[in-house]
Amino acid sequence: MLVPLARFSLVVVLLTYAVEPLQVAADEPIATEISVEGRDFFEKQVRPLLVQRCYECHGGTKAGGGLSLQTAKGWQHGGESGPAIVPGKPDESLLIEAIQYRSLEMPPSDAGGKLPDHEIAILSKWVAMGAPDPRDGRDIIGGMDRQAAESWWAFQPLPVLDAPLDVLRDAQHIDALLQREIEAQGLTAVDAADKRTLLRRLTYDLQGLPPTSESVAAFLADTSPTAFSKAIDQLLESPQYGVQWGRHWLDVVRYADTAGENTDRPLPHAWRYRNWVIDAFNRDLAYDEFVRMQIAGDLLSQDLDDNQRAEGIIATGYLAIARRFGHDIDKDMYLTYEDVIDNLGKNFLGLTLGCARCHDHKYDPVSAEDYYALYGIFESTQFAFPGCEPKGQPRDLVPLMKQAGIAALMAPWQAEVAKVVAEKQRRQMQAQAATETLRAHWVPSQKTLAKSPVGEGASVPFDERLMVHRGELMLLTVFPNASHGADSTLVEWTIRETAGDERTWSVAELVPELLRANPWPAGQEATWSFLDVTDGPVFLSEQRAGLSGNNQLSAWSLGSEPSVFVNSGEQPATVWTSLPARSFFVHPGHNRPVAVAWTSPVDGEIVVQGRVADAHPAGGDGVAFELNHLAASELGPALADVGRAAVGLPDAGPPPTIPVAYAVIDRDSKNTRFHERGDPEKLGAEIPRRWLTVFGGTEVPANTGSGRVALAEWVAHHPLMARVMVNRLWEWHFGKGLVRSSNDFGARGEPPSHPELLDFLAAKFVQSGYSVKAMHRLILHTAAYQRQSATPTATDPGNQWLAHFSRRRLSAEELRDSLLAVSGKLDMTLATAHPFPPEATWTFTQHNPFNAVYETDRRSAFLMVQRQRRHPFLALFDGADPNASTPTRQTTTVPTQALYFMNDPFFHEQAETFARSLLTIAEEDARLQDAYRQVLQRTPTSAEQQRLRRFVEQYPGSRAEQWAALARVLLASNEFLYVE
Amino acid sequence: MSHSINPLPSTRRTFLQSAAAGSVLFPGIVQQLLADSGDPLSPRETHFPAKAKHIIFLFMTGGVSHVDTFDPKPELTWSHGKEIQADHPEIKDRPGYEHIYLKRPQWDFAPHGECGMEISGLFPHLAGCADDLALIRSMHTSHSNHYNATLGMHTGSFAFSRPSIGSWMTYGLGTLNRNLPGFVVIAPKPTYAGTQVYSSDFLPGAYQGTLVVPGSEPVANVRQRVPADRQQLELAALRELNQEHLATRSDDPQLLARLQTFETAFGMQMAVPDAFDFAQETATTLTSYGLQPGQTSGFGWQCLAARRLIERGVRFVELIDTGSSGNWDAHGDMQTHEPLAKNVDQPIAALIRDLKARGLFDETLIVWTTEFGRTPFNNTADAKGREHHPWAFSSWLAGAGVKRGVVHGATDEIGLRAVDQPVHVRDFHATILHLMGFDHERLTHRHAGLDFRLTGVEHAKVVENILS
Repeated sequence: MLVPLARFSLVVVLLTYAVEPLQVAADEPIATEISVEGRDFFEKQVRPLLVQRCYECHGGTKAGGGLSLQTAKGWQHGGESGPAIVPGKPDESLLIEAIQYRSLEMPPSDAGGKLPDHEIAILSKWVAMGAPDPRDGRDIIGGMDRQAAESWWAFQPLPVLDAPLDVLRDAQHIDALLQREIEAQGLTAVDAADKRTLLRRLTYDLQGLPPTSESVAAFLADTSPTAFSKAIDQLLESPQYGVQWGRHWLDVVRYADTAGENTDRPLPHAWRYRNWVIDAFNRDLAYDEFVRMQIAGDLLSQDLDDNQRAEGIIATGYLAIARRFGHDIDKDMYLTYEDVIDNLGKNFLGLTLGCARCHDHKYDPVSAEDYYALYGIFESTQFAFPGCEPKGQPRDLVPLMKQAGIAALMAPWQAEVAKVVAEKQRRQMQAQAATETLRAHWVPSQKTLAKSPVGEGASVPFDERLMVHRGELMLLTVFPNASHGADSTLVEWTIRETAGDERTWSVAELVPELLRANPWPAGQEATWSFLDVTDGPVFLSEQRAGLSGNNQLSAWSLGSEPSVFVNSGEQPATVWTSLPARSFFVHPGHNRPVAVAWTSPVDGEIVVQGRVADAHPAGGDGVAFELNHLAASELGPALADVGRAAVGLPDAGPPPTIPVAYAVIDRDSKNTRFHERGDPEKLGAEIPRRWLTVFGGTEVPANTGSGRVALAEWVAHHPLMARVMVNRLWEWHFGKGLVRSSNDFGARGEPPSHPELLDFLAAKFVQSGYSVKAMHRLILHTAAYQRQSATPTATDPGNQWLAHFSRRRLSAEELRDSLLAVSGKLDMTLATAHPFPPEATWTFTQHNPFNAVYETDRRSAFLMVQRQRRHPFLALFDGADPNASTPTRQTTTVPTQALYFMNDPFFHEQAETFARSLLTIAEEDARLQDAYRQVLQRTPTSAEQQRLRRFVEQYPGSRAEQWAALARVLLASNEFLYVE
Repeated sequence: MSHSINPLPSTRRTFLQSAAAGSVLFPGIVQQLLADSGDPLSPRETHFPAKAKHIIFLFMTGGVSHVDTFDPKPELTWSHGKEIQADHPEIKDRPGYEHIYLKRPQWDFAPHGECGMEISGLFPHLAGCADDLALIRSMHTSHSNHYNATLGMHTGSFAFSRPSIGSWMTYGLGTLNRNLPGFVVIAPKPTYAGTQVYSSDFLPGAYQGTLVVPGSEPVANVRQRVPADRQQLELAALRELNQEHLATRSDDPQLLARLQTFETAFGMQMAVPDAFDFAQETATTLTSYGLQPGQTSGFGWQCLAARRLIERGVRFVELIDTGSSGNWDAHGDMQTHEPLAKNVDQPIAALIRDLKARGLFDETLIVWTTEFGRTPFNNTADAKGREHHPWAFSSWLAGAGVKRGVVHGATDEIGLRAVDQPVHVRDFHATILHLMGFDHERLTHRHAGLDFRLTGVEHAKVVENILS
């Protein structure tokens, strides 16, 4: 049943002034009028206090001592000791006496103890004011009286329609319903738009692109009555349709390609969900199924074939893309769950469920218990982890293959790994003798030549002269100090023989190609070895190129450190610290010293010079070093043998890529505990996982996992789902919904302008099997959709009654795509992953968060969207908010947008490219006509033609410059930017 | 000295004249449009008479140590090395922080000015302006992470994206000079929490902060890509096309508004570079800010640019000192405060004196703050740095509507907690809004069914003590 419109206005007016809605409908009158001040004082100061301090014992059904403080009636009746409050007389009120610990002592010491003085003062003041208390104790759910809630218009069942779906007849019915209001408002509907206008409107609407010259010509030539229907079908069949309408959906689900936590990490797999949405629109996946899949696709597809299973998992990307918060995102998951619940409510149901996190919803029938009943469902769900600064890289991504498939994929690689392991063992066996030699001589042969701490940011030189023999070692060891192991340490080290050829060796020679070998260079002439010497020499055997994404930095290491590394670039590298150009570094690990060994090919005297400098002064306590001579000539060859065994093992290669999705799966199911005032550290009673109280409060069946399957069904069976979605479809076609607050169908939202029409559409949607394309056909066939645009008048400034069509600006994506279409550069293929840096290289911190803009000629729906940093173009032209559901795009008109059309390099580039293609047409008039057809989908009038020819002639510069200027003028025009 | 908005450059005048001459619609429709209350940027009435017309918001990134700058704590020197207990968010469950010890400040404090305000040796120039400052020593905030605390200081929200204070201000005030953005953020490097720091979020995009990165093109797309004479030809042709289009569309306001934005944008091409061109500044002025002729970076450049912007009617100028790295985040060594202070000290003092000399100090509110303080303790007595400290820090206000030479509130004797008249970030925001003529509870915007405000749902109070 539908509630008459007049009633809605009444409700809205009342809500503006009243805390308890619908008081007019109440049976019992309220005893005394409460002043605005009184009500205010109660709501701001008293109610929170009572909730926090008293309700646990004196709330509702569990009224201690018979006293309930949850309603005014409760304290009026009082408990075993009589009425708790004498209004206006704090001195005579038991409540005040008790909290002052004069007679009774409340709250008792085991329930928090005596209240602080200022809270006692608040309650005393309240009683002195006459104890104004609006809580009349009727049956209330959240912010609404139960009866009002159960009869709330948006929750009512949809009408059941007898007549089957019939596009033309149903469209006529829609027009009749609209016409009724148009007449009631004293308006007159305008005529139908001309065909060119209509096709431009339709093509932008369904595809977000301008119609091609060919399609315009074909449509104009088709004079059959079905020409428009054919055009609709053609546009709906193109995959570009899904790009445009998928993007609408991505607005509502606040899709983004980064996580939004403090480092704004990329989500390299989120694109699969984005593309699934686009594909779902293209194949007209039934909307109820579309909804179920996003909430519980992984569970619903468990027993289906591999492709369907993968699709089900990908669909739950909807949940996974929820924003992450803070530094350690595991600590702030309660905010992520709020983001999920808030979006799920607005998105599918038009309910602002997120408002019930800290307290009952103030206006809608949603209690805080309801919120935590849903919360438990998501807490029982494992969300893919995007990584964060203290916890590194992503995990819990969901594989899109079953275990058997993964095993089959992994088997050949694992066999390779086994071979490598075997080879390693074989070499170690071979090097056994050399290892024994090292063990025997390493420590006993050491003579320390120099030894020094290197303070924070300091540099310590060394300069020694000594006799060495071939095969002996010089060893420079860098030690981490007590608390900070990880200091980047600059090492300069030159060795010169004083006689003979006066040959020299220097670590500088390692800088251009450190990764050539270890020992370096390879072969019998080994000179340098890079070692972890925590417990005897161990070769740094892992090669790392492109540290921190910088190609000039390469390292030998074991893990990320210990390592030796070089900056081979001609410029200092600014990474975790500033690394001077062309330098060699040692980086000890935590309690793991690193040594560089030089094997002497010399018999004679050498001079050893250099310095050790702390290159990362923020580390804390600097480093220390030792320069040793290992005077045993067996050591050099033995070290080389051990090195050859340890380094350069055959490589099994990277493991095969298992396709994964940024998605969710179930984990151990458990109910959550209530968060007092939304504080996750103040836990209250356990709340069973269940559906909203107002919709029956059914609990999640036992042993069915998290409860997402049940939730998906509850949502999909509620009439709100159809109402909210048809309203969105209407809005995306007409610019405004029948319910203008398209994310809010609750008490604070706006009532529908055409309630009967909204329900008719919703019922048709159900009848069509939730076919979105059927709804498009229905809406597009109305006369209302095909009317001319007009400038709104004072009678109907918002064009609520649809006597004409609403002119609209192109969205950010439509604008950019149109510019690319005109220049001929638009790449209409679907994008896949963004070119993010590989996960292994991520070192994002809150000091250096992820930040990128990727250029692409693909459609703008595929631009990489960051949560922390808006894409500059999308931000300029009112793109969707990547942090919150965007049901309606804003349209701002600001001078910085005009600057874009005047000076932006991308805009200029498209205009110049367009002009170059125009110049292939020899004849000027034909060229101008072509320009008009491509930009505005019409031919210029002869006056326009003359004027623009004159513009071109007067414009200084080359032919190309003149026509680029003309292109800019057309592309900056209102006629181009607005759809009629 | 007068501070009237600069006369239009001659090319701009010519353009307006030609625009007026070339059309019966212009400039009448422009006037009509400007008068239209629907224009998001037209100047607006405040709740009560504002004390200040402009704000310069100086944000020191990374967490300035209060006990080494504006909050003298001799007890820290006397009890250096004494072990204390604190249930502090930065040491909770942190290995190596089982024990914490007080740590003495590294700079001496001395009284300055007639008011005798104690400021440390880190700010010798600013100390000379002590009699102009209203110093708050009892600031505190709700988070100990840079990201969250920075977001909180800018938006009032410590987790979610919300409109920034500059956006609220432009939303409330409109703008005085259509050729310049109403809200300008001058930041040499990216900040913590990214563009959220100056985002309009759910407020209309017109209130978004415009980012200025010191350098050759401070505002995106203001540099003309074709010579001025050619651009004027293009704009004239465009105007003609658009007017014809408009004439058959009953002067649709949205189409009209867009025509007008080209006018403004044309002006911005001159006005923006002009605001950042210091050629006309005297050598004395440049020297006072510590600038060399031709220098286009550094905090001195930011300060002088701020003065030039507010002279031209910009409402809110935020100067971000450094960025998300290489800032005041002195975990390793407090001595890193020395060059950072040196970088800002002289320019800020010069800005105060310059504004006073030009009569702008009485209509401009200067706000100096950071996201949080630094711990008065560390895990060893001789650790050189300090950790993040949300419980207490110092900020100051100066200029329009603010008492001069006063100190508000105090921390306990070791600077651990704000104990006397504590000022939370939301109280700080309420005070700033008050000085700009707004009741923080009434400057609201309806979004997703709720009325949002900068100060959020918790109680916030104006710091009356420092109002003049």
